[in-house]
Amino acid sequence: MLAFLWRRIVSSALPLLVVILGVFFLARLTGDPANLYLPLSATPEMRAEFAARNGFDQPVVVQFFDYLGQIARLDFGESLRTAQPAAQAVLQAFPATLQLAGTTMLIAIVAAVVIGSLAAYRPNSLADRAASLLSSTSASVPDFWFAIMLVLVFSVTLNWLPTSGTDGTAAWVLPILTLLIRPFGVLVQVVRGSMVSALSAPYTKVARSKGADEKRVIFGHALRNAAAPALTVAGDLTVSMINGAVVVETIFGWPGIGKLMIDSILERDFAVLQAAVLLTALTIFALNILIDVCYALLDARVRQGVTA
Amino acid sequence: MPIPPLTPATGPRPLRIPGVFAAVGLLLAGTACAVANTDDGGAADTVRIALPEEPPTLEPCDASLTATGRVTRSNITEALTERVPKTGALEPALATGWEQTSDKTWAFTMREGVTFHDGTAFDAEAAAFSIDRTVDSDIGCNVDGYVFGDSELTAEAVDDHTLEVTTAEPDPILPLRLSFIEIVPSSTDTQDKAREPVGTGPYKIKEWNQGVDLKLQRYDGYWGDKPAYATARYVWRAESSIRAAMVSQGEADIAVGLTPQDSAGDNAVEYPNNETSYMRIDAGEEPLDDIRVRRAINYAIDKKGLVSSVFSGLGQPAGQIVPKGVTGHNEEIQPWPHDPKKAETLIDEARADGVPVDTTITIIGRNGIYPKASEATEVVQRSLIDAGLKVKVKMLDVNAWMEYLLRPFPSDMGPTLLQAQHGNQAGDAAFTMEQIYGSSGAQSSYGTEKLDSMIEEAENAQDEPRQQAFAEALAYQNDEVVRDAVLAHMTGVMAISPDVSYTPNSATNDELRLRGMQPAD
Repeated sequence: MLAFLWRRIVSSALPLLVVILGVFFLARLTGDPANLYLPLSATPEMRAEFAARNGFDQPVVVQFFDYLGQIARLDFGESLRTAQPAAQAVLQAFPATLQLAGTTMLIAIVAAVVIGSLAAYRPNSLADRAASLLSSTSASVPDFWFAIMLVLVFSVTLNWLPTSGTDGTAAWVLPILTLLIRPFGVLVQVVRGSMVSALSAPYTKVARSKGADEKRVIFGHALRNAAAPALTVAGDLTVSMINGAVVVETIFGWPGIGKLMIDSILERDFAVLQAAVLLTALTIFALNILIDVCYALLDARVRQGVTA
Repeated sequence: MPIPPLTPATGPRPLRIPGVFAAVGLLLAGTACAVANTDDGGAADTVRIALPEEPPTLEPCDASLTATGRVTRSNITEALTERVPKTGALEPALATGWEQTSDKTWAFTMREGVTFHDGTAFDAEAAAFSIDRTVDSDIGCNVDGYVFGDSELTAEAVDDHTLEVTTAEPDPILPLRLSFIEIVPSSTDTQDKAREPVGTGPYKIKEWNQGVDLKLQRYDGYWGDKPAYATARYVWRAESSIRAAMVSQGEADIAVGLTPQDSAGDNAVEYPNNETSYMRIDAGEEPLDDIRVRRAINYAIDKKGLVSSVFSGLGQPAGQIVPKGVTGHNEEIQPWPHDPKKAETLIDEARADGVPVDTTITIIGRNGIYPKASEATEVVQRSLIDAGLKVKVKMLDVNAWMEYLLRPFPSDMGPTLLQAQHGNQAGDAAFTMEQIYGSSGAQSSYGTEKLDSMIEEAENAQDEPRQQAFAEALAYQNDEVVRDAVLAHMTGVMAISPDVSYTPNSATNDELRLRGMQPAD
C-alpha cells in the first residue's frame, strides 16, 4: 500500500513541476509590473529601484531558481500589492471557496440524483422532458448573466435576499444558486443516462422477476450501479470548482481564491498568483490521490497497477 | 457547455462511491474555518461605503494610489496643508501657517494640541520624520514618485512647533506638494510599509477583516470638529451595478465609481471627477507630423455629440487637458469647433503637398478607461475616416496599453492616436505639462523646444505669473503644437442614500472625506 502511495505521489510530482514552471514564466510574459505600481511620472531611477527591490532586475532563470529555493523553505514571497506574505493571502481566501464549492456540490448531487432518477424512470415522459429542458438550459446559461438576473429579481425587485457579501446565511443563497446551475445541469444528464441503462440492465429484470418492489429495484439495484459514473463526474466538477468560482466571487464580493487569482493576474502580483496556483494544484493532487487510495483500498486491481 | 461523455457503465463499480464521498467530506471539513459574519446593519451612527476594490494597504506614503488614498487621506491621516478642490486654494491643516524664508527654504508652523491615535503628541519632529520617510527611505513610496520625482528635500525640526524644509532647487509650490505627505508618528516603521497606520485624523482603524470589510472608528482626541458618524464600514464589490443596488437596497449608504448604466436611479449623484479624456496624437510619425492633419483631426471630432450620445451627457466638451480649479487652466481656450468641411479641406491640402495621408493610422484604445471607451474610439474612427484618413482601432487591456502610454514606446508602432485620460489631483499644471507635453516627458511622444522652455519657465514662476505662464503654454500647445485632441472633462457618478448627506467634489475620487458625511435631516 505504501509503495502504491509513493508511486502516486511521484507520478504527481511531474505535473506539479510543470504547473510551477508554467505559472512562473507565463506570468512574467504579461508585462512589467512597474507600470502598474509606480506613478506614471516615476523616474527611470525609481523604476530601476523598484525592479531591484523586487528582484525583477535578475535574469528570469535566476529568479526562477531563487523562487524554487524559497518554496523549499516554505517561503512564498511577498505580495507586491499589499506587502503581506503571499501565503497568508492565499490561506485566508481558500476556506471561503471551499465552503462555497462544498455546499454547492452537495446540493447539486442530491438534486441531480433525485431529478435524474425520476426522469429515467419513465423515459420520454413529461417529467423526463421537463428534466432534460431544465438541465440543458442550466448547463448552458452564462453564469455572469444568471448572477446579475438573480440579484435583479431576488434582491432589487423582491427584496428577499441581500445583493452580495457574506453577512448571514441569506447571503449564501444567490452565490450558491449561481454556482449550482452548471454542475446540476451536467449531473442530471449523467444520472439520467446511467439510470436509463441500469433500469434496462439484466440484473434489474432479474430483481423485478424475483418480485422485488419498485423502491428496492430503483434504490437498491439501479441507482447503486448508476451512481458510479455520476459520482466520477461530480468529483471532476468539484475539483474544477476548487480552482475558484471567479464569476461568483467577483459579482457577490465573496472573498475566495478565484477572485484573488484573477486580481493577482490583473495586478501582476506574481507571488500571490504563484502561491494561489500552487495551493490549488496541491489540493487537487491530494484529492486525486485520496480518491485513488480509496479505490485501491477496496480494489486490488487498482492497487497492483493492473489496468482495468 | 458540452456535456461530458458518460463513463461507460461496465458492470457494477460501487467502489468509487466512498472515494468521492470522502472527497466531498474533506471539502466540507476544510470549511470549518467560517467566513466571518459581520453585520452592523444600518445603525444610524455608522456610515456604510461600497468601494470598487479593497485597499491594498492603508500606508499613508502610498496615499496617491486611489484605492489607498480614498480611505486613508484626511480620514486616518492628515497632511500639513490641504487643497480646497473647488478653488484650488491651499489651507492650513496640521500646519497653521508657512512662509518662504529663502528661495530654497520654507518654514512651517505646527498646529498645537494635536495628538496621534496612539496618544503621542504631534510636533515638528513627527512632521520631519514623515517627510523623510516618504521621500528618502527605501520603502518605495508612491507619493514620492507622484509628487516629488527626482527632486530632493530635507526637513528639520527647528523646535517643537517649527519645521524647516529645504529643497535642492527653488520650489515655488512646495506647500502644495506637502499636501500629499500624510503625517505619521516617529515610531512608524521605516523599513517596511505600515498597512495599518496611526495618524492624527478624525478616524482610527478599528478592525480590518481582510477580504470582507474595514471599519474605522471616530477618534475622540481629534483636534478639529467631531465628525457625525461614530463608525464607518467599508466593503468592496468589483461589479458597479452591485454597488449601485446595495445603496438602493439599503445595504450601503454610499457607492463610488458607478457608470450611467448602473441604474442607481434617484440615488445617483454626478460630479466633475477631475479627469479629462483626450486622444494623444503621435506627431512624430507621418502623416501626423503635418500640423494640418492634426488640426483636421480636431475639427473632425464632434465632441459635443460624443458627450451627449456616448457619455450619456456626463461630461463637458473640453479644449485643454487641465480643468478649472487647477493652476494654469486657461479660460480662453475653447473646445475645437466641429467642422468636418474644414477637416476635409485640410487633409486635401496636405495630400496635395505630398503628405502620405493614406497611411493607416491606428487608434490604440484601452478597455474600460472610462464608460463606453470602445464606442468612443469608434466615433473618433468614423469621424476621421469621413475626413479622408485611413484609421483602424486596436483595443487593449491596461498593461498592454501602458506600453504605448509610457516611454520607451514600441519601436514599430507607426502613426497612432492613443486613447488616454489625465487626472491632475495635485491641482497645479506642473503635474501635467512636463510629463504629457515635454519633449522627453514620460507620457509624451512629441514636443517642441519652444514648448519645453515655456513649461520650464512656468514651473519656476510663482503665484499669478505662474498661472499666466502655464496658461500661455497651454494656449501655445493648442494653437501651434496640437499634440492631442482633447475630448471632454469627465463626470463621475456615485450613489448616495437619502439617509446620508454628502456633496462630492473633484477630489472625491482620491479622498472620500468621512468628515463631510452627515445623516440627512
